[in-house]
Amino acid sequence: MLELFGVEARYGAALALSGVSLSIAAGELVAVVGPNGAGKTTLIETIAGIHRSSAGTMTFEGRDLTALAPHRYCDAGIAIVPEGRRLFTTMTVRENLELGSYRRAAKPLRAASIDKACTMFPVLATCLDRAAGTLSGGQQQMVAIARALMAQPRLLLLDEPSLGLAPIIVLEMFDIIRRVNDAGTAILLVEQNVAMALDIASRAYVLEEGRIVAEGAPAALREQPHIRRAYLGIGDDVAAPA
Amino acid sequence: MSVIELADPPLRRDARAARTRNVTALIAGAAVALAFVPYLGLPPFYESFLYLTFHWIVLATSWNILSGYSGYFSFGHGAFFGAGMYTTATLAAKLDVPFLLTLPAAAFVAMTLGLAVGAVVFRVRRIRGELFALVTLAVTFVVGTVVLNTPIDGGPGVYLSGVPVPKLGPTAASSFYLMALAAMVVTLLAAYLIQRSKLGLGLFAIHDDEDVAEVLGVPTFRSKMIALAVSCALAGVAGGIHALFVSYVTAGETFTITVPLTVVLMSVLGGTRHWAGPVVGAAIITALLYAFTAGNHPVAGRAVFGALLIVVILFLPDGVLGWRRKIAKAHGPKPTDDQLPPESAFLDRRVPSADEESGTIETVATPAMATGPSTATTPAPTGPSMPRAGADLLVAKHLRKSFSGVRAVDDVSLTIREGEILGLLGPNGSGKSTFINLVSGHYLIDAGELTFRGRDLARSDAHVIAQLGIARTYQIPRPFAHLTVLENVALTAMFGAAALPRAEAEQEAERWLDFTGLAAKRDALPDDLNLHQRKFLELARALAARPRLLLLDEVLSGLTPGEINEAIALIRKIRDGGATIVFVEHVMRAVLALTDRVVVLDHGSVIAEGAPHEVMQRREVVTAFLGAGHA
Amino acid sequence: MNLPSGTLLAQSALSGLFVGALYGLLGLGLSLSWGLLRQINLAHFALAFLAAYVCFQLSSVAHVDPLLTLALIVPGCFAAGVAIQWLFARFRISPFNSLLVTFGLTVMLESLIQGIWTADFRRLESTYGDARFRLGPLYVPAPELLTFIVALALSLAVWAILKYTDAGRALRAAAEDGPIAEAFGIDRKKLALLLAGVSAASAGIGGVCIALSQTLAPSQIYAWIGVVFAAVMMGGLGRPFGPLVAGIVIGVSEALTMAITAPSWAPLVSFSLLLVVLLARPGRF
Repeated sequence: MLELFGVEARYGAALALSGVSLSIAAGELVAVVGPNGAGKTTLIETIAGIHRSSAGTMTFEGRDLTALAPHRYCDAGIAIVPEGRRLFTTMTVRENLELGSYRRAAKPLRAASIDKACTMFPVLATCLDRAAGTLSGGQQQMVAIARALMAQPRLLLLDEPSLGLAPIIVLEMFDIIRRVNDAGTAILLVEQNVAMALDIASRAYVLEEGRIVAEGAPAALREQPHIRRAYLGIGDDVAAPA
Repeated sequence: MSVIELADPPLRRDARAARTRNVTALIAGAAVALAFVPYLGLPPFYESFLYLTFHWIVLATSWNILSGYSGYFSFGHGAFFGAGMYTTATLAAKLDVPFLLTLPAAAFVAMTLGLAVGAVVFRVRRIRGELFALVTLAVTFVVGTVVLNTPIDGGPGVYLSGVPVPKLGPTAASSFYLMALAAMVVTLLAAYLIQRSKLGLGLFAIHDDEDVAEVLGVPTFRSKMIALAVSCALAGVAGGIHALFVSYVTAGETFTITVPLTVVLMSVLGGTRHWAGPVVGAAIITALLYAFTAGNHPVAGRAVFGALLIVVILFLPDGVLGWRRKIAKAHGPKPTDDQLPPESAFLDRRVPSADEESGTIETVATPAMATGPSTATTPAPTGPSMPRAGADLLVAKHLRKSFSGVRAVDDVSLTIREGEILGLLGPNGSGKSTFINLVSGHYLIDAGELTFRGRDLARSDAHVIAQLGIARTYQIPRPFAHLTVLENVALTAMFGAAALPRAEAEQEAERWLDFTGLAAKRDALPDDLNLHQRKFLELARALAARPRLLLLDEVLSGLTPGEINEAIALIRKIRDGGATIVFVEHVMRAVLALTDRVVVLDHGSVIAEGAPHEVMQRREVVTAFLGAGHA
Repeated sequence: MNLPSGTLLAQSALSGLFVGALYGLLGLGLSLSWGLLRQINLAHFALAFLAAYVCFQLSSVAHVDPLLTLALIVPGCFAAGVAIQWLFARFRISPFNSLLVTFGLTVMLESLIQGIWTADFRRLESTYGDARFRLGPLYVPAPELLTFIVALALSLAVWAILKYTDAGRALRAAAEDGPIAEAFGIDRKKLALLLAGVSAASAGIGGVCIALSQTLAPSQIYAWIGVVFAAVMMGGLGRPFGPLVAGIVIGVSEALTMAITAPSWAPLVSFSLLLVVLLARPGRF
């Protein structure tokens, strides 16, 4: 469904992504993990059309994404839940949802979509007319996911959904993510919470310094010593203070 | 503390001082040469034309001192110029004050007017630049109204025909010529010396990123006010001279759009970031002006100026001088092309390992500890890597900070002790960066107490906090885009706790650039660096301030394991030199290796505190990081 | 200082209300483009005056009904606004440089106006100009009333569009977070062009109102800049009713000041009000 090959992305002269190749099949839940500054957000933003790639190919369902203008990515069937939520804080929750279904194909289904969102996130029904900026972190995350789902995407991009959330809310969130995937939407999940990401993904990539350094099934990745040490804090080469 | 540092320290006789002297001599020499023009016996037309040229050079250059250097474009230069004109007109024509004595008064009145505007507008935080432009535009017409409606003018204008022209040259035209020449020399010297001084560097930093400049120690409000004062005073003098030149002053002719438009155009055309830019622009435009007024097409002339301004902004935004500089750089030696992260910058450095700690520290790795020029803030090196008995350095009590209702920092109390390395940990969004921003003065605290060595930080401006000895790096590097790498680092050496004069500061900066492996890039612009190099630049910039408390915000992210080892050793050395370090980091290995103590934040509150190994085992900490079920 | 009679004061206040409505009408387009596009379009005023002069010319010379000139002026101004915005986008002009470029444009347009119509004062004589209604002891001139109605209607329309339509929501979203708005299918560039065109068209409408109620002179362009910007800033950027309300406050204050002291002090009023707002609530921007 989504194929990246040799993708390169820059910030000014600095290289943020280099030679990145990955793929996602329809209905898959794929995770991308890595340290801060590895380029995970750049990767998501490039796939969503927010950031322009400088080299390489990106195709989605056979269409060349790199030829599209940024605002056409949503029409192609890709929706994003950005890092830090990035809701339209001065607008109400309802308006945020309405904007999610701005694209032409999603608009007729708007009313039904809002209902579905309220069913999936019961708390939404109570705060539809509140300004999005007044909600708690967890509530905002739900609105952000709902907003993306309003666009009827075939591929959902999630950038660090667990950021700044209480553990119990994170569990709920991942549960919802799993359900969305079960319903048929392919998901690309970028996460710093490696353990949780590996729990729900069917496949994962490890991104370090703009390059894919590992990929495979979660079970296999969990066994790699490099992963264990760097991301799970498990290992015995941690030096004691001098 | 003096903001303008003109005297060279006796230790530093080098290219920089020589160049300053050369250019100053050049300006003075040209002035002397030009002073002989009246004696060449030329027709008065030439002297009048040159008078006008000098007059516009004074106006454009004085405008540039504030607006070009700091980026606060003023559209009100006409108000200050007009204030000067009317001061002279009133004093000389109505009160019979000798003409030359009215000039200082003109400068004073114009300056006061400018400072009044600045005092109000410079304090409004967010849209300062645009607001300043619009308010100054309005000021012109307001001052014109006041002048028109009061006895200052009253309507008919003021005649200065009865005021005697001082006999400075063989003819009246020569006298004006010489007065304008004198004003021009003073203005050019002021512009040049300010550009070379500490004040100038501060202004250029303000231009690029005012908030960061303030946090690094630049007294932004004071700097802008000083530049504004100088700018207005010079415009006032030009106005005073011009009042006598035209000998009939009316509000309608003076307080118009012409002066602001012309000076903006001249400076933008020549290049606003350079003291000589307005000179180039003024020369070109005055020639054009002459062509239009001689041909009697003032209206068409204005239209052409408007068009020219548009063309320059669209196609030549850095002006003639900026464009020349870009061309020179394109044809000059290219900076090395580095796309991949550089080989460890530290591998070649002789960094003492944990085994070879010794009492004397004379390696290149720790210039701050070298027995070099001592300042009051260079602490004596203590024994190796033993944290000193920790006196309380920074005490935070019940700190609170909210953004749009979300509590980023929620009742945080912690104490940082002198000489320790404290790790500040927590998942993303837990409030670590907000805490750093509060301590460094980037944000104002909503509630709570914050004291540093006994001093209350809560009500201090960020630049004061920097001068007290707190330095920080930014997680996403924020260098000053138009300053070279060297200037970026020298800035904190000048404005931070070390407070070195410019020449010494650049020397200090070179040492730190050497140390972080950026020496080859000293004259490059930050845009030419990759992300790693920019992080090193952040670090060098923070260290050059010789801080007591160093706040490091994720300096290690993106480094290779080898580089991380070097960085760990480096940070230890920095602490040994007397700095206390707060270390926000995700790289567990470094945290466990370096920190004496860790504080864990989650959702803006402190959830754990203590020795690193012990804290990282605690259930609530593991849960916060990895989620329940993995403790 | 003799206080004028109650009727005179009321009449002054009323005319201040109408002038204020004109400030608000001119400020509406500016506020929208500054608030939603972060462009400061100084040329807004020059465009309005150009429209005013064109209306004057067509009315006085070609004897076209002033209101009919809108059929030419509104599309013309719309096109001009789109062209300017296209220029900004094409050259990727920063918000501050947009101020400089439109400053240059203002000067060019003002010179053009002076070149064609000279600096002499021009007054449009029309049937509208002479009509007036009575409201008790007070006179309500028709052109001013028309201006007020137009200003109110436009503000209301803008408010409704921003609140209830997809395009309006899209504009607000794009103003807050452009890249994310784009990620949801919002064509920022097209919306920006549309908004710039509408804003400029409102300048054209304002120009016709100016022609109907005011005396024209090229130098007037600069006189209005200060007071309208004061209204825009006091009203809050991007708020549909802001410029109108602030404009009326300024207009009434000015009128009362003029009635009580002298007309030539009027420019100080808006400036002082603005300074007060800046000092009292410096964080509001």
